[in-house]
Amino acid sequence: MTDKNPTSLRYHDKGNVHMDFHGATNTTINFIIEKYGIKTMNDIFKKVGNDVYADIKKHIQSGNIKVLAEHWQHFFDREGADFSISIKENEIILTVKKCTAYEHVKKLVGKVSPNFCDQTIKTNEAIAEGTPYEIKTEILGEASCKQIIRKRL
Amino acid sequence: MIPSDHFTRFYNEVFKFLEKQGEEDLKQYWLEISKNQEKHTLDLFREKGLKGMYEYWDHIRIEENCDLDLKLEDDKLELKMNVCPSLSKVLDNDAEPMKRYCDHCAGWIGPIMDKVGYHLVYDVIDRSKPQCVVKIFKDKEKAIEEEKNVKLLMGWPGKK
Repeated sequence: MTDKNPTSLRYHDKGNVHMDFHGATNTTINFIIEKYGIKTMNDIFKKVGNDVYADIKKHIQSGNIKVLAEHWQHFFDREGADFSISIKENEIILTVKKCTAYEHVKKLVGKVSPNFCDQTIKTNEAIAEGTPYEIKTEILGEASCKQIIRKRL
Repeated sequence: MIPSDHFTRFYNEVFKFLEKQGEEDLKQYWLEISKNQEKHTLDLFREKGLKGMYEYWDHIRIEENCDLDLKLEDDKLELKMNVCPSLSKVLDNDAEPMKRYCDHCAGWIGPIMDKVGYHLVYDVIDRSKPQCVVKIFKDKEKAIEEEKNVKLLMGWPGKK
């Protein structure tokens, strides 16, 4: 894994990566949905998008969508995912060919929550909410997706 | 994907939601996390005892980038967390930290120690600082004695 040094990222983690946290995320998703329902789980992801990633949201609000590409590059790189990023002026596409988070959970527990990828879909939606941009997440298959940020029509 | 690097900030949001639901809801979640952690710990702790615990937390020390001192003795394992990366990230956060964030740690470790027959003394010291001291004893009486010396003793679901 490389350690780039992007200066515009609010959270710029270094050092080792503890992939087992994805297993705890999977457990949490199952627990919250079973006990409180899917809307509650989505509301928590919305809080993550709006509050934890407030800085990315602020950049997107002001038109700097490249910060999201920088975030994707840094963290998917750290997790050893197979991915590519295509950057145009008003559109950035992240294509994840192999999501190591999904793969790791599958290895740990066998069955990944059917709502595991909601963490991506709903957090992305919340980050873009109220900005001139939208972030769409398309699930392409198991452990594979496309995430697109572009100007709203 | 919420990066594994940011899991603790997600965790923090889950805790804040559960705290609003009530203490019992928080405890049920800690127990669920504890069950999740059994996959990584239970066999190791049962087979190797304190040495297995040392192995587990030595692995965590490296993988989670902890500033952690581990001291293994015949009848005790001591973990001195000088800088906890988990609380550090929650404090370095654009979202508001949950005031009792530290409580989850004893919340999942305690039930596992009860299952394997060891005795946990968890001193958080101060919930606003990323440091703590954890002592795990073979002997219950020594654990009870040690509890008299702690600054902020943590409990867990089912603690006797």
